[in-house]
Amino acid sequence: MKFAANMLSCILVTLPATALAQDATSAQGDVSVTIYNNNLALVQDVRTLPIGRGVNRVEFPDVSAQIRPETVSFAADGTAIVEQNFDFDLLSPSKLMEKAVGQVVTIVRTNPATGAETREQARVLAVNGGTVLQIGNRIEVLRDDGLPVRVVFDKVPPNLRPRPTLSVTVESSQAGSRAASLRYLTPGLGWSADYVALFDAKAGRIDVQGWITLTNSTGTTYANARTLLVAGEVGASPQSYGSPYGRPRSPGSLRKAGTETANRERLGDFYLYPLAARTTIADRQTKQVSFLDVQGVPAKAGYEYRNDWLNSSEDPQSFSSVVKFSTSGNGGLGDALPAGTVRFYMKDASGAPQFIGENAVGHTPMGSELVLATGEAFDVKVQPVVEKREKLGEYRWRTTMRYDISNAKPEAVSVDLTQAGLDWVNSDTRIVSESQPSKRRNSDSTVWSVAVPANGRTTVSAVFDTRY
Amino acid sequence: MRLILACLLLALPIAAQAQAIVTSAGPETSSVTVYRDPDRGEGGISASFPTGFALITETRRIALPAGESTVRFEGVADGMIAVSAVVTGLPGGVVQKNRDARLLSPAALLDGSLGNRVHLRRTSRATGKVTDQDAIIRSGPDGAVVLQTSEGVEALRCSGIPESLSYDSVPAGLAARPTLSVTTVSPSATSALVTLTYLSTGFDWGANYVAKVAKNGRTLDLFAWLTVANGNASGFVDAQLMAVAGRVNREADYDSLVENAPSPSLHLQCWPMATTSTDSPPPPPMSASMMMADMSEIVVTAQRRNESLAAAPVVKMAKQEELGDLKLYRVPMRVDVNAHGQKQVALLQKSAVPFHLYYAAKLWPLDPGDESQPMAKTLRMQNRANAGLGLPLPSGGVALFEQADGESLLLANSDMRDHAIGEEAEIDAGRSAQVRIRHIGVAGKDGTIQSFRIEVTNALDKPVPVEVQLARPDGYSLIGPSRTLGEKDGAWLWAQTVPANGKAEFAYRLKEDR
Repeated sequence: MKFAANMLSCILVTLPATALAQDATSAQGDVSVTIYNNNLALVQDVRTLPIGRGVNRVEFPDVSAQIRPETVSFAADGTAIVEQNFDFDLLSPSKLMEKAVGQVVTIVRTNPATGAETREQARVLAVNGGTVLQIGNRIEVLRDDGLPVRVVFDKVPPNLRPRPTLSVTVESSQAGSRAASLRYLTPGLGWSADYVALFDAKAGRIDVQGWITLTNSTGTTYANARTLLVAGEVGASPQSYGSPYGRPRSPGSLRKAGTETANRERLGDFYLYPLAARTTIADRQTKQVSFLDVQGVPAKAGYEYRNDWLNSSEDPQSFSSVVKFSTSGNGGLGDALPAGTVRFYMKDASGAPQFIGENAVGHTPMGSELVLATGEAFDVKVQPVVEKREKLGEYRWRTTMRYDISNAKPEAVSVDLTQAGLDWVNSDTRIVSESQPSKRRNSDSTVWSVAVPANGRTTVSAVFDTRY
Repeated sequence: MRLILACLLLALPIAAQAQAIVTSAGPETSSVTVYRDPDRGEGGISASFPTGFALITETRRIALPAGESTVRFEGVADGMIAVSAVVTGLPGGVVQKNRDARLLSPAALLDGSLGNRVHLRRTSRATGKVTDQDAIIRSGPDGAVVLQTSEGVEALRCSGIPESLSYDSVPAGLAARPTLSVTTVSPSATSALVTLTYLSTGFDWGANYVAKVAKNGRTLDLFAWLTVANGNASGFVDAQLMAVAGRVNREADYDSLVENAPSPSLHLQCWPMATTSTDSPPPPPMSASMMMADMSEIVVTAQRRNESLAAAPVVKMAKQEELGDLKLYRVPMRVDVNAHGQKQVALLQKSAVPFHLYYAAKLWPLDPGDESQPMAKTLRMQNRANAGLGLPLPSGGVALFEQADGESLLLANSDMRDHAIGEEAEIDAGRSAQVRIRHIGVAGKDGTIQSFRIEVTNALDKPVPVEVQLARPDGYSLIGPSRTLGEKDGAWLWAQTVPANGKAEFAYRLKEDR
């Protein structure tokens, strides 16, 4: 104890007051944090605590302010748990006064003219809307005349705390300091990935840097924590596989799911991303740590447009500019990608990288093929036109479509034009004739790969026969 | 002596562990590339709340000590999207990037001082005497402040006496503004030229076209401003300014990435304070004099006369470059992008662009309105070099002027979408009350055949070309139109010139398919 006092004076002597960091006052011990993608984390905190023999109440300050107390588990040698409590009766002036009902407080009146103070003992009779006091044999309402009155209480009532407090009551078979481990789940800690992709369209290459971005909004700082990130959502609600009205969805970014296993630590089906060194995750901090840096991966620019129904557009519509690349170990990024946002950059005429758009990726296995739309092409457009729609019978229609494609770029481009809406509510649409062969992707859509000359135009036409 | 030694031993590891903090106050050079709000449509921008974004690239000269250090970047845009920040040029690379948003506020000061000693100051209203005493904070900031002093436990500011707390220090980890910092390990002490690139909200840009119809009525002079707005509290001095036309995909919710976590607020709440006279009567109704006072605010507005549009010539014009599938406009000189400011530079200029003026209407062939409606006056240009244009036209607002008696008169104010080279560009020049269209259903349905008539009247003393688009109705065939129809954008097109002070008619029949 004396040593502790010496130490305190040392700190006070050697450090200026501003250097009294909050970490130094944290009650946390050896902290490990495992963070999932869906705003959930498992915190393990091993503290050295003196536990006496018999029944002890052990308080744990500095746990997450958003702790889910029902998930707490406690372990220490030679102890058995009697009960766990999470108390959130917080100290406030109102609570202080309410708990003083029936007790004696000191009131200090200040004379507004002279500033002279007079002290009296008062018993708090009731606190209902206002405070009713008994002073000697008078009954008064506190500050009824609006004049200054200080109320001085003897002590802070028990069980009122500045912050919600977790406590565990244990029965210990022996006395002494020992390691006590506390584990709990907390929301407010989450992570995702942010990718910086520098795309060189001419060379057909992409440089990708991946950053883990973790955010802490729990209200608590985790000092010097071992940190492990799990690429996955736990306890997420089961996904539905169908789509509304039985209409197939547009293909999305993941065009081919990979079948390669990345050379990373795994936990069940989840990939793990441990941070190399212990780190302090401050409250309200967004922290980014690099986990991927790949140069010169083959990538291709492309153009895609999807006409959702057999309909006309009044104006020409821009194709989406897409970037295609693989996550394979062979000619790709060579890693599994945790879900996040990919931001694409391209060098301008002066060589400075400029932002050209972003897109989201889900958790992507290694070996996958990705097609990410970055934006709309200014110069490559298509105007779908219904040339004719004839009724061939009660449940049968014939639609003649024309697609006018224009390219204002000085080089030839190849575009993927998708006509969707071919299968909606059990309809059966066949292609009677087309100006160039298309590839039927599924019952709902068909795709033409069209070469468009530099500064030129081309037209695709097709006749569809739809039966209900 | 032993105590001093112990102190030294304690102090040493602290000093060794401490990271050097290097603060970079501002950029040496900066470049700002502004992107349109992709969801904003074609119209003008809001200068006070710009909804687009910008890519900001800064170079900063930073003196790094050897070993591990933390570099704090100050003077960045307040709309900075920290997760997009890329820092290059550090010799030791980036170990980690942090954005700290625990802000110094009254509540944070109180919360960070919980259990610590603070000073409670009371001032007597009668004598002005100040008494200062030490106190320890016992409650969090949520339900107001409970203090422990040598006299006992008290609540702050419940007594009616002016009371205030003062603190010895700012708790660690609190900053005035959210701050980006990177940790790096430098092999040696050096001065590095670091590039910081990040996206920031609070910017937007738009093209503002001014089209002046020449006296001959057949050509127009097209000029466009590049209008950039910066809604940030930070300005960029002597910056390279660029703007990107086209629509870029935006996935993340930028506002939520920028938004600061709400700072805890301090609620000073005492115990229940009702007195015997708390049930006070409702406030008196507003008296006549008070109402007068409220209404005395008189708003004076005046309309400034449009200055003649014979504007001064433009010296510097933005230079257009290709950026993948987007168009990049580079302002050819360094400019100041001011905080909360809007800036305009010339974007493009083309003179004597020939155009075709016509009157347009779009009809649904089965739904005659039978009412005479004004037709839309439209200027059509071909965006080709051999037709006087031939350059990318980014979307924006269009102000159309015509010369009359030496004065420029505003004809129309409309919007235009992105136009690539080779496309047909049209300017909406408003509706004409003189050239009108009437769509009439003719009585008498013959089985599956219905008859219709379209009538265009021209009250002008010159012939006008009209173009009427009839959408194709599914399951109907057109029979016996009185004229051959063209086709445009998937619709039938009736194009004709209506004589001066005359009219034109067109009759058609629709037959329902089986």
